[in-house]
Amino acid sequence: MSFETDISRIEEIAQKLNASDTSLEESIALFEEGMRLAKALEKALAEAKRSVEIVLGENPQEAEITSLA
Amino acid sequence: MDSLLQTELSVSDLTSLIKQTLEQGFYGLKVTGEISNFRPSSTGHWFFTLKDETCSISAVMFKGSTWKVDFTPQEGDKVTVTGSLDVYGARGTYQLKCESMEKSGFGQLLAMLEMRKRQYAALGYFDEKTKKPIPKRPLRVGVVTSPTGAALQDILNILGRRAPSLDILVLPATVQGESAAPSIANRILQANDLLLCDVLIVGRGGGSIEDLLPFSEECVIEAIHCSQIPIISAVGHEIDWALSDFVADLRAPTPSAAAELVSQGYMDYRNQVQNLYEQLQKSMQSRLLLAESKVKRFDTKAMQVRISNIISTKEYLLANAGNNLVIAQKQLLKSHDARVELAIRELQALSPLAILARGYTVVQNQEGKLVASKEQAEPGSMLTLTFADGKRKALVKE
Repeated sequence: MSFETDISRIEEIAQKLNASDTSLEESIALFEEGMRLAKALEKALAEAKRSVEIVLGENPQEAEITSLA
Repeated sequence: MDSLLQTELSVSDLTSLIKQTLEQGFYGLKVTGEISNFRPSSTGHWFFTLKDETCSISAVMFKGSTWKVDFTPQEGDKVTVTGSLDVYGARGTYQLKCESMEKSGFGQLLAMLEMRKRQYAALGYFDEKTKKPIPKRPLRVGVVTSPTGAALQDILNILGRRAPSLDILVLPATVQGESAAPSIANRILQANDLLLCDVLIVGRGGGSIEDLLPFSEECVIEAIHCSQIPIISAVGHEIDWALSDFVADLRAPTPSAAAELVSQGYMDYRNQVQNLYEQLQKSMQSRLLLAESKVKRFDTKAMQVRISNIISTKEYLLANAGNNLVIAQKQLLKSHDARVELAIRELQALSPLAILARGYTVVQNQEGKLVASKEQAEPGSMLTLTFADGKRKALVKE
């Protein structure tokens, strides 16, 4: 999943929703797709899934890395 | 004995003269000495003695000035103060009223930093065109700072809140004292050698100018200059600076600000997604409203209104037509009456009674047959004569 493509897809959907020649059935399907993408993006951006690590030792050629609690 | 003044003076007069002489004669002073007997008052003023090997002088610094001093003086600190003499008449004492205070040697330190700054500027180390762009949405940010400092906690908190998916690698360094500069430089080199991250924050929290000095040391400047990884310098508070600020690709006023800078791309994304979210909902809502308004035209109530409208129009037309019929019939009747009257009049004109009224009679024999000639009326027979007003019997004689 790429943020860029997902965001431009949602933008495209929003545009289609505003167009008068989009049928109601089509609109509902588009809306559902857009909301699903937006929710997924929001979740991906807000989810705490980072790793915080720290380098041990001083040797610049060799870094031992461990998780920082 | 010669008298200075011809008049006799009160103590107040004399004190007032001394006050004038001292206060008008000793102003704009810059005095260096050692702090002794430092007594901060609960109201925020500082009382202390400034001394050197042989002399001492009372000194005071009022609250209005102490807040500008970025350190709390300690016993034995060598400081340079500026101020003027102040006479306290009630006790007959004089003291140094301080306006500003800095650690002695601060001036030399600043001069040294300025010189070093010029030297590196001349080498092109600070040129804008050598600055690398900071990645908008880095995947892993390295932080060269003290692992126990408040700066690291601030950075972790802010990144956790703004970009919780961004990985962080702490490169612990000593940030104060003799070993600090090589320690910082070493971590920058290590991050580069092993390509540990795609952006580096190098910094520490606030402190005195001496505390921040390692970030202005030559080995740190060189390490930042040579770094392939873009570096954000984040040293001290807003007002503090170090030479690392100039050579780094970006200067952040504080470590917290550096964290905000590296997470801005993610925040922009979040805002954008939020906006799109609202946009989708708004568009869908107006789409549904449109559909609803179309359907609404066919609901029971609206239909009732429309149908009753149609009915009342028809009823009106019907009533109108009925009315017209009645009028037409009346007119028709009227014209018939006229014709009947005319016919009656014509009939009356032709009526035999009318002829009889003019003197004629109808003659009938006994059988009732009309007698129109004398041949039919034989003498001796009885005839019936009909007049306009009645009948008579007549006997034919000859």
